[in-house]
Amino acid sequence: MLIPHPLLGLRDAQEFTYLGDAALLNRPDPAAGEAGFADYVYLRDNPAGVHRELWFHEQGDRSWLVVTRNTLTHEILGAELARDVKLGGTA
Amino acid sequence: MTDLIPMGALGTPDPARASHGALTLTENTALMLISVATRPGTPAPHPLGLHLPGPGLWSQGQGAAAFWTGPGQWMIETDVPDHAERLRDAIRSAPGARLTDQSDGWVCVEVTSDAGPAPIRALLERLVNLSPDQVAPGHATRTLLHHLGCIVIRRAEDHLAVLAPRSAAGSLWHLLRETASRQVPAATA
Amino acid sequence: MSRLDLPQSRDALIDRNRPLSFTFDGRPYTGFAGDTLASALMANGVQLVGRSFKYHRPRGIFSAGSEEPNALVTLRSGARAEPNTRATMVELFEGLEASSQNHLGGVRHDLMAVNDLAAPFLSAGFYYKTFMWPRAFWEKLYEPAIRRAAGLGKLSMEADPDSYDRGYLHPDLLVIGAGAAGLMAALTAARAGAEVVLADEDARMGGRLLAEGGLLDGAPATDWVAQVLAELAALPNVRLMPRTTVFGVYDHGIYGAVERVSDHLATPGEQVRQTLWRITAKRAIMATGATERHIPFADNDRPGVLLSGSLRAYANRWGVTPQARATDPVLIFTNNDDGHRTAQSLLARGVSLAGVVDSRSGARSLGDYTTHAGAVVTGTKGRHGLRRVQIRTADGSDSWISCGVLGVAGGWNPNVQLASHHRGRPVWDGERLTFLPGPDGPAGLIPAGAACGHGSTIAALADGRRAAQTALTQLDRTAAAPALPQAEEEPSAITALWHVPGQRRAWVDLQNDVTVKDIKLSHQENMRSVEHMKRWTTLGMATDQGKTSNVTALAVMAELTGNGIARTGTTIFRPPYTPVALSVLGGGDTGANFRPRRLTPTHHWAEANGATFVEVGQWMRAQWYAQPGETHWRQSVDREARAVRAAVGLCDVTTLGKIDVQGPDAGTFLDRIYANTISTLKPGRVRYGLMLREDGFLYDDGTCACLGDGHYVVTTTTGNAGLVFQRMEFARQCLWPELDVTLISTTDAWAQIAVAGPKSRALLERVVDGFDLSNDVFPFMACAELTVCGGLPARLFRISFSGEVAYELAVPARYGHALMERLMERGADLGVTPYGTEALAVLRIEKGHAAGAELNGQTTAAMLGLGRMVSAKKDAIGAVMSRREGLADDSRRLVGLQPVDPGQKLPAGAHLFAEGAAQALATDEGWITSACYSPHVESYIALGFLEKGDQRLGEVIRCANPLEGQDISARVVPAHFVDPEGGRLRD
Repeated sequence: MLIPHPLLGLRDAQEFTYLGDAALLNRPDPAAGEAGFADYVYLRDNPAGVHRELWFHEQGDRSWLVVTRNTLTHEILGAELARDVKLGGTA
Repeated sequence: MTDLIPMGALGTPDPARASHGALTLTENTALMLISVATRPGTPAPHPLGLHLPGPGLWSQGQGAAAFWTGPGQWMIETDVPDHAERLRDAIRSAPGARLTDQSDGWVCVEVTSDAGPAPIRALLERLVNLSPDQVAPGHATRTLLHHLGCIVIRRAEDHLAVLAPRSAAGSLWHLLRETASRQVPAATA
Repeated sequence: MSRLDLPQSRDALIDRNRPLSFTFDGRPYTGFAGDTLASALMANGVQLVGRSFKYHRPRGIFSAGSEEPNALVTLRSGARAEPNTRATMVELFEGLEASSQNHLGGVRHDLMAVNDLAAPFLSAGFYYKTFMWPRAFWEKLYEPAIRRAAGLGKLSMEADPDSYDRGYLHPDLLVIGAGAAGLMAALTAARAGAEVVLADEDARMGGRLLAEGGLLDGAPATDWVAQVLAELAALPNVRLMPRTTVFGVYDHGIYGAVERVSDHLATPGEQVRQTLWRITAKRAIMATGATERHIPFADNDRPGVLLSGSLRAYANRWGVTPQARATDPVLIFTNNDDGHRTAQSLLARGVSLAGVVDSRSGARSLGDYTTHAGAVVTGTKGRHGLRRVQIRTADGSDSWISCGVLGVAGGWNPNVQLASHHRGRPVWDGERLTFLPGPDGPAGLIPAGAACGHGSTIAALADGRRAAQTALTQLDRTAAAPALPQAEEEPSAITALWHVPGQRRAWVDLQNDVTVKDIKLSHQENMRSVEHMKRWTTLGMATDQGKTSNVTALAVMAELTGNGIARTGTTIFRPPYTPVALSVLGGGDTGANFRPRRLTPTHHWAEANGATFVEVGQWMRAQWYAQPGETHWRQSVDREARAVRAAVGLCDVTTLGKIDVQGPDAGTFLDRIYANTISTLKPGRVRYGLMLREDGFLYDDGTCACLGDGHYVVTTTTGNAGLVFQRMEFARQCLWPELDVTLISTTDAWAQIAVAGPKSRALLERVVDGFDLSNDVFPFMACAELTVCGGLPARLFRISFSGEVAYELAVPARYGHALMERLMERGADLGVTPYGTEALAVLRIEKGHAAGAELNGQTTAAMLGLGRMVSAKKDAIGAVMSRREGLADDSRRLVGLQPVDPGQKLPAGAHLFAEGAAQALATDEGWITSACYSPHVESYIALGFLEKGDQRLGEVIRCANPLEGQDISARVVPAHFVDPEGGRLRD
């Protein structure tokens, strides 16, 4: 696969490490307690279709990306810096 | 001055060197590397007027060069010790800039061609999964060389530099020599 | 050796001035440069080349390309022997050795041919039903016997002596196949300035243009091919890749290809044997041509029966026909016009023709030969090769025709495989009677030419040009249309005939010995889906993947179900298109290339000083340093460990991960990374830190040194260095990007040497430049930036992993070797001793210090007795979940264990049980994490987690290792075997 890195353009997926559901950006406040964290730690979406997921450009610029990918077709609909997503509050 | 004798990354006091056809590989032991980081999104510093380039790029200035390593991060290269010291001072005094000396963190092998760009291009095809425009002159990027994470700098059409973690110098040297030597029979066939 | 006359211009295809000697089954033969093994065997009258998979029937060459089902030979000998190579794809070289496969005794008198008499027992699915009882016989008797009897070639079982390479290409356009369509596509795109890669599996580009007798622009087509190739070769934006098979299509325009760099040479010499290319193309054109299908009839598998188009190729390209006796005439059996083109070509080459059997009632000759219109072939005779063919004429009468060769023309199947790799479904064209590439194939892959049904030369040329223009338009470029060469009309009318019904066996899949009967049986046994039929009969499996059989089998199946071919559908195509050696898929990643090796700065010093090395991740670390006279590793390790406790030892700890953390929010950031508080750490001080996973379990441990305001150096364990960095970047970018902090990995920049033992201070005092090491100024857990050895910048950390007074001294990596030598020299009178990872482990087990075995992902801070380190006052990764029920309640604690019999070894991994308790999961009370012999205690010792271990000191428990029948009594002791009060390391 080719990942459209927002700063570096198309880069081969070999350079990346996959983490999974971008919901991991939404770490609960400690006040959410064990129940809130249990959801965060253990429950992930794994849809057959469009999915927002985290990829780490480990063999590149070390950016974490939020990649929107159709898991059925592997079509990639977009990629953003996770930092921007988090700061923009759109995760 | 210390009386300890420094050792090249390949375990020899003198820089390692090898030639394969049109390609010459030389360990660059004189290179000093200074990592500069700022908070992403803040303006890049200009230590001693040195331009710190954008993503995927390498730029050469007076007595030093710099390349982008990540958002808000660059590596500055120089082989002039006094200049390195002045650069360090300039970075320390730049607001928000952080310095980490990386001179000993990396081994650098300079690959030059005496037959123009073709042998360098052929070598790159066997080493990195990057398009020719991503490794065109003036570009630098971290990528995978086979299984080894490296930084590839295209200093000129006929000049490539490859940086690998210093501890992996032997593997890098083996990889570069083996790949370069395989270009020789192909070129003469 | 006999050859047909070829037109003058075609002589370049085989070089009659370069004869090549080769052997087949040990007998010497001669061919010419330009031959394949198949064409050279034909030129020598060798018709029988192997035995079939199941029935051991005699088989001959069936095709002229990569679709070959029969002519599988073992090429070369010794370690280079390669089974199942297709004789049709092997280029002849001087000294080539090949041998036939799958026979017991000679290929002519195969003792396993008795299998053919047992054919009624070997029908479809026989291995699923025939050898079922008694059950135990399958593994011991039936399977080994079947495997011996049925099968293909054998591996040499020797290591592959050749090397392999990989490469990456990024063209605008990849053209797959260099026949009429591919050449025209490449030419169109190349003239427009696009970066073009043209790959073809053949050694010589041109595809079917090399095999047809037709003219282009009034001259032999090979002239036009040569002219186009010369133009392409001269263009800097074109890369011609003959001998390169594009075997698979992957996501986002990535194509896998194998270049057979030196398979056409006796040995590769200096070169690699093959190269794996990963081609990332903006667009690709699939000009893969078409494969002819045959028409099954009774006994159609005899040597001498082959595809009509291949027969034509052998005559036109190599000047050979496959008779065992040169005078035997050739017969053609066809259901379409293409069979007549073969007849024309053979006549033009001077081959004696017995006629054309054409199943179409109105068929007419296209030259001076007899056509049996409305007739079909119903049988063959000839023991090792074809002698006579039986035909049934339009009036229903049977007659025999003497001939040595029968060419069968059943129509052409477009090679749609690559277009079907992303689960693209080919669609049935009822008019052309072929499957065509479907619309849902891989994005960016454009079929062209015969591969999408445009099979005539003129149509293929035009379609190649059209495909290239389409591709370039999609890339926002324009391409002018090069003029097409003038080509002759090629009639291509076809009337369906999928097989000739009869009582005797008619082979559909020659490679897997699957007959029309087998497909019928499979249908009777209710295998209604093509996927089931494929698996029940094994049709379309093995090296040819059914290239000459799939569509015919579908048609037979469709006939049985009455569903029609379109509804019957095809099986799924997957990479690789043709067989690919595992060694080239590895791309040469063997031996030194298997993975990078990381060496410490003192590696060469250690090597020169008797070190034995151990792999720790990618690192090579000194495990121990054997001294003269030491014959067992324990002697070395015990000596090294004792030296640290008694004097001073040196150990290279460069491999620990080091991360430079800087920025105004660095302290806050580290508070969230570590379970304990870091922000209160003062410059010049070091703190031990515990990292948790977000689920509350322990992740990693290390030290954090504060070098100045907002500047910390974090160390990680050797194995986790990369992962901890990745995780810290996750926290920095994804969790708390508002914090102003930067992370730089500096693991390789510093050579770090542990100087440990009661005399460590005395030794260090001899190398520091006037730095006060006294306990008051530089106490336990202090750190400093200083200079050593006359001005060398260094970092010093007073930390201990052994329980002794200890330091870690870091200098720029290039000075590590010299520093080691200097410390050894200056410490000689102090008894300085280098120690390796084994002694390091002994020392830390004696001190009860946790390492990887204790941080195995199932343990908590509380289990280590460090529960109070998890701060309740702040948020940190894993803090909330560490307090959850189950983790907080876990009462297993780290303890020391000492065998009751000091000579008895405690096995790491053993499980712990109360004395006298039944040993079962329910009574399991913990496990041993680390064990060693302790020279300090003079006994084997161990660390482990034990239920309420902190309250059971002195109790004798059982350490059970049922795998090896061990059940050892051990006493529970504190986890600190040395200096439990911790006074020594603070001295």
